[in-house]
Amino acid sequence: MIQYQKFKLDNGLTVIHHFDDATQLCALNILYKVGSRNEDPHKTGFAHLFEHLMFGGSENVKEFDTELQAAGGESNAFTSNDITNYYVTLPANNIETGFWLDSDRMLSLDFNQKSLDVQKNVVIEEFKERYLNQPYGDIWLKILPLAYKIHPYNWSTIGKEISHIENADLDQVKAFFNNYYSPDNAILVVAGNISFEETMRLCKKWFEPIPNRNAIINVYKQEPVQKEARKEHVYNDVPLDLIVMAYHMGGRQDSDYYNCDLLSDILGAGKSARFFNKLVKEKRLFSELDTYITGDADPGLFLIEGKLMKGVSFETAEAAILEELEFIKNNPVNLNEFTKVQNKTETNVLFGDMSVLNRAMKLAFAEFLGDITLVDNEIDHYLSVTPESLMKVAKSMFQEQNCSTLYYHAKI
Amino acid sequence: MSINRKIAPEFHLIESLHFPDYEILQTKNGFKLYSLRAGSQPVIRLDFIFDAGLIRQLKIAESAFAASMLSEGTKNRSALNLAESLDYYGSYFQTRSNPDDAVATLYCLEKHLENCLPLFLEAITESVFPERELDIQKKNSIQKLLVNEKKNSYLCRKHYYKNLFGDKHPYASFSGKEDLEKTNRDSLVSFHQNHYKNGLKYLMLSGNYSEEALRQIDILVSNIDFIGPSGKKNHAEIVSQTGKFFIEKNDSVQSAIRIGKLSIGRTHEDFRRLQFLNLIFGGYFGSRLMKNIREDKGLTYGIYSVLEPYKEAATWYIDSDINTKNRESGLAEIYKEMAVIRDQEIPKTELETARNYYLGSFLRSLDGPFSLADRLKIMIDYQLPNSYYPDFVSVLYNTSASDLQELANKYLGEENIVELVVGKK
Repeated sequence: MIQYQKFKLDNGLTVIHHFDDATQLCALNILYKVGSRNEDPHKTGFAHLFEHLMFGGSENVKEFDTELQAAGGESNAFTSNDITNYYVTLPANNIETGFWLDSDRMLSLDFNQKSLDVQKNVVIEEFKERYLNQPYGDIWLKILPLAYKIHPYNWSTIGKEISHIENADLDQVKAFFNNYYSPDNAILVVAGNISFEETMRLCKKWFEPIPNRNAIINVYKQEPVQKEARKEHVYNDVPLDLIVMAYHMGGRQDSDYYNCDLLSDILGAGKSARFFNKLVKEKRLFSELDTYITGDADPGLFLIEGKLMKGVSFETAEAAILEELEFIKNNPVNLNEFTKVQNKTETNVLFGDMSVLNRAMKLAFAEFLGDITLVDNEIDHYLSVTPESLMKVAKSMFQEQNCSTLYYHAKI
Repeated sequence: MSINRKIAPEFHLIESLHFPDYEILQTKNGFKLYSLRAGSQPVIRLDFIFDAGLIRQLKIAESAFAASMLSEGTKNRSALNLAESLDYYGSYFQTRSNPDDAVATLYCLEKHLENCLPLFLEAITESVFPERELDIQKKNSIQKLLVNEKKNSYLCRKHYYKNLFGDKHPYASFSGKEDLEKTNRDSLVSFHQNHYKNGLKYLMLSGNYSEEALRQIDILVSNIDFIGPSGKKNHAEIVSQTGKFFIEKNDSVQSAIRIGKLSIGRTHEDFRRLQFLNLIFGGYFGSRLMKNIREDKGLTYGIYSVLEPYKEAATWYIDSDINTKNRESGLAEIYKEMAVIRDQEIPKTELETARNYYLGSFLRSLDGPFSLADRLKIMIDYQLPNSYYPDFVSVLYNTSASDLQELANKYLGEENIVELVVGKK
């Protein structure tokens, strides 16, 4: 059980307190409810670029990280399709430094051209390092636009192209900040060796004076049901052929989500998984074959990704995957295999809850989804999955017209 | 209530670090079992440490295959049966071969330990290295190698170690396609016999568990006739080829860079202070390399320096991927920063910020059972006293700017440098 208390400040900021006196640390986790799905299709990659700017100094603090480090703290952040999440950890008795720093950058950033120019370059190098200068690094840039035609999951958090990052300007930075970084669009989790009373006092002191800027969340269209199989061929200087198959699935709060997660484990997780034993080891069609789900708030993707053994054709490889999918659609998972993935889930949950920072992030994300009780009852959702529900979800998801396939050819 | 946001809240300095108590037990067959209880979730990590690292191998790829093949089948169980049985209890079985040792680890919930432990022990002691499974692993490894060889960072790392330690040194052992193809079952069986069954160094249990868990481990482990390591070493001489090396990859938009040299090991009296100097130079987000080359000039997504000690040798290096167009200026900045840290004392506030951050990072790493176990392993392997981590407090408070400058001149000089660049001409 993860114990917590939740309250709201006058400016609309949601605060969650989680006490743990087994640690000497305290974590502040701030989730802003903005991600790449809130971007303008012609100015993509901006939420992530903005995350970098949040470390470039605020109205009253020249260097965020230096002040934090001087108090023994550390920080980082990530941007996803749905959210931007910032966290700091500090020795518990220095947590006020975290309140000072994080509240100041929520109050107002130091909008300066130099920081913007430098971070644009840093993000462009990140784009190159992770997406362009790696074999298969651009898979994500190819598969998303194939699977999503309307919804902003069409592009990746890094952005569609480098020019979008190059073109970002200070006005855009200011407008984005004033709207999306308003207190009423954020969730603050204070977790660790700090009392509820002290949390309340520090929140009132540092965060409550920040005016509510009343965030307006843009409306975007949901993705219509896919009605035709989509296929794309890419040729690149890579050593092996690779196939990616992406099926639309439900959103994070859809009951199908838990079924999909377990289906993904049965098919693709670890050495006892079906794909590994049938297609990697028995048939020797792939050297690697993995499955994963995106876990986004809006309806996401169930992905199958594999590298073909040299000499195996795409037709053979794809047919073998489809045969396994047909099997799971028409035959209930046996009890051993079913218990296995349930047990794995229990292990994963308990291991995931070990660090106070992980618990803080989990609380913030559950609150963002609109159901904070998920932090404790998520396991029940997994336990309510049955072999029959798995078969049912597999049947409706693994349909040819629901699939986008990327054939990534090794150039000879 | 109006507050002055220009003024930083007061903060406290970290004045002490605490390493929790742990027990050193002895199994009935004479092996040390370290027991470190911490954390509140009912999770367990059990490590078996074997004298089966790269340093022990006679052929390239032997140590890595011996480790990864442990889960591939025993006399009575196939690879699939082992994987299914261990997965059934929600456990994770990991093996890895390191430069100086090999570690087999079982992660599970305490309630499943009695079911998992016999399987885990069977896998690591009765492995038969089936020919068919080996063939699959070899072919899959060759596929992985083909992908790695397309990565600048992989090529850079490989050639850095080869130049620094010498092509024949086990720490520079990177398997080529032929090495993978040549690997055979017989040599793995004998490696397993000599370095696993006859090479158990010690066991380490961490997490939150009862006495019963320790008892179970003792009973089951004592049933196996493990033998400790022979202590026999392979002769491994370091043959450095220093200088600047360039590997051309004309399709790259970035260049991978590694610049470094041989350095001092963990038991050297300067080691902890050199770690501190490295932190200031390139070891954290607030370091000089990050602040100058990323945060001021935007030439890279990341740049850092690392002090990497092994048993028989150590290295200190700088690593980054830099935009091809700015590569020369990036390299010049790196050498400039090395010169500055040798020529000028580190300003007081910079030193204090780094010190406070470093002590905070120890507080973070001494939080949680598995991270503590990683630290304990270092203490065991290098025979360091229990005060090793707590003593960082006095070591750091007693290191002055002039001490650091002296260290910079001793260890961060440009002589004997190995510079590797992989990228477009």
